[in-house]
Amino acid sequence: MPIMKPKTREPSEAADAPNGQLSFAELVEGLTSGDHAVRLGAVRSLGIQGGTPAIDVLCQHLVIDSDRSTRDVIAVELARLGGEAVVEGLMPLLRSDDAALRNIAIDILKELPTDVAPRMEALLDDPDPDVRIFLVNVLEALRHPSVEDWLVAVITMDTNVNVVGTALDLLNEVGSTSSVPALRAAIARFPDEPFVTFSAGNALRRIGSAA
Amino acid sequence: MKHVLIIDDATTVRMYHRQILSEAGFAVDESINGVEALEKALTKRYDLFVVDVNMPKMDGYRFLRELRSNADVHQAPAVMVSTEAEAKDRDAAWAAGANYYMTKPTKPGALTRVAHLLTGEAQ
Amino acid sequence: MSAVKAITPDDFARFSEYFYRKTGIHFDDSKRYFVDRRLTDRISATDSQDFNTYFRLLRLNPSGSETQVLTNLMTVNETYFFREAYQFECLTDFILAEVVRYKRAGDPIRIWSMPCSSGEEPYSIAIHLMEKWAHIDRYDVEIFGSDIDTTILASAQTGIYSPRSVQGVPPNQMKKYFTKLRDGNWQICQDLRDSVEFVRTNLNEPADLARFSRVDVIFCRNLLIYFDDMSRRAAAEAFYETMSPGAFICLGHSESMSRISSLFKVRRFGSTIVYQKPLPGEASA
Repeated sequence: MPIMKPKTREPSEAADAPNGQLSFAELVEGLTSGDHAVRLGAVRSLGIQGGTPAIDVLCQHLVIDSDRSTRDVIAVELARLGGEAVVEGLMPLLRSDDAALRNIAIDILKELPTDVAPRMEALLDDPDPDVRIFLVNVLEALRHPSVEDWLVAVITMDTNVNVVGTALDLLNEVGSTSSVPALRAAIARFPDEPFVTFSAGNALRRIGSAA
Repeated sequence: MKHVLIIDDATTVRMYHRQILSEAGFAVDESINGVEALEKALTKRYDLFVVDVNMPKMDGYRFLRELRSNADVHQAPAVMVSTEAEAKDRDAAWAAGANYYMTKPTKPGALTRVAHLLTGEAQ
Repeated sequence: MSAVKAITPDDFARFSEYFYRKTGIHFDDSKRYFVDRRLTDRISATDSQDFNTYFRLLRLNPSGSETQVLTNLMTVNETYFFREAYQFECLTDFILAEVVRYKRAGDPIRIWSMPCSSGEEPYSIAIHLMEKWAHIDRYDVEIFGSDIDTTILASAQTGIYSPRSVQGVPPNQMKKYFTKLRDGNWQICQDLRDSVEFVRTNLNEPADLARFSRVDVIFCRNLLIYFDDMSRRAAAEAFYETMSPGAFICLGHSESMSRISSLFKVRRFGSTIVYQKPLPGEASA
């Protein structure tokens, strides 16, 4: 019969044994191995170890190793670890020239609402508008009670039209009647930007339909 | 009627571009990132792609590289639309396979002109 | 319970946009009634004033638990023989031709159904291969069925199905592969029961995944929609590692890899979209 009973490998033959006893230095060396499986094993073991040194190494490796599957495993490990060190390690990546790297940093930060939230106000003052845009993107996933207040602050204060536009996109979904004055003010603040008129108008219409 | 695929993760940007391009006489579809755009481009023939840069899962540059290297997709012109206006961003867009580069937010007149120009539609 | 205000077209649009982004499941206007009813139920169950209040709860609820509840309500996960059979057609019409091209002579072709639930999918694949794949006699095929639930795996091994579950199986194949039991149910034949390896697998457990290697085709339908963003990314990566370069993964009809991962190449065969692990040297753009 051509369809035959297969056998999976026994867990003991296959699984996690190899990296169990490796030192931190050996794992860091493993990250540069030419063997993809060894690199992934090292990433996972560093994730299990945790702690700031491991997090720093993983954040740096995200920059060096452009292999997508390795990057995905690092992202999963960093998101699982969370904490201040991860946020700290990822912030510089938002300024990278590598679009894929910027976006993966955002994806991880989106998973860490409680670690990002306390720093949000300070971060939204970053001089680089692109970084502020990314942070508003992170807000999208924060599920934090202050999200609307932060967005209102952005559309009221930020001078960059694209930062405001990104915030308006999110207010379209989560804006309530308390956003109305700020939405109106944003339209007045950017009279020559049809996009602002369009998206703030859209948000107002949606909120209005609720009232 | 010419078909345009708008690729952007921001809902309001897609709505805004859809409104502009629909009014200019295009049939419009939307995708929220590069992977979804490739799925659509494999199943339907588009005359123009309007591509954002920063998107989750697959950014605009990689979308364009994969699009341009995919023999199963009908190759159509692409406008890259970005919040970044530096020379290096433009260069990256050309290198990835864009035919035109615009900075965000777009103005309706400018986007319409470029769309007509790239699709060879007389105004 | 007070009556909830009707869902407006704008509410529906806003909801389906969000739900699509979160789960990859797309509802068009033809599903209005189905979606509206479930939304209205949740609006009253959560004591929300109206759709807008409820939508904010859905978006901003810190645990994401309401999204989970809604996903369960919005997905009817019924399993039966030859469900979404167009993908099996795609398997024998296109996918296997590419798989045998990269396979070394003598290596078995490995097909993995995850989650396999009570076994309908892996058995459907086995029957389909025997009936429809011209080259079945030239290759060894191994079929795995995985699920996290051991009770359901035991029932998959027993292979007893209700008439409803087998109603999509053509009569000649019923005769060939099933036996009617006294209680009116049907049991799949011993040969097929022996040919599928059922194994309990938790996608979050590296040791479970390490049991699989050089898999050529994965059917992972209607599972990842229930995962959050990082778990989906982790699952896609885990599948990627178990696959041969050039191997394929098929998702459910309403699902798309675009919410999950960009590790795979998007391929189209006929009107079916499947995803392929790049071959060496093809590690695209």
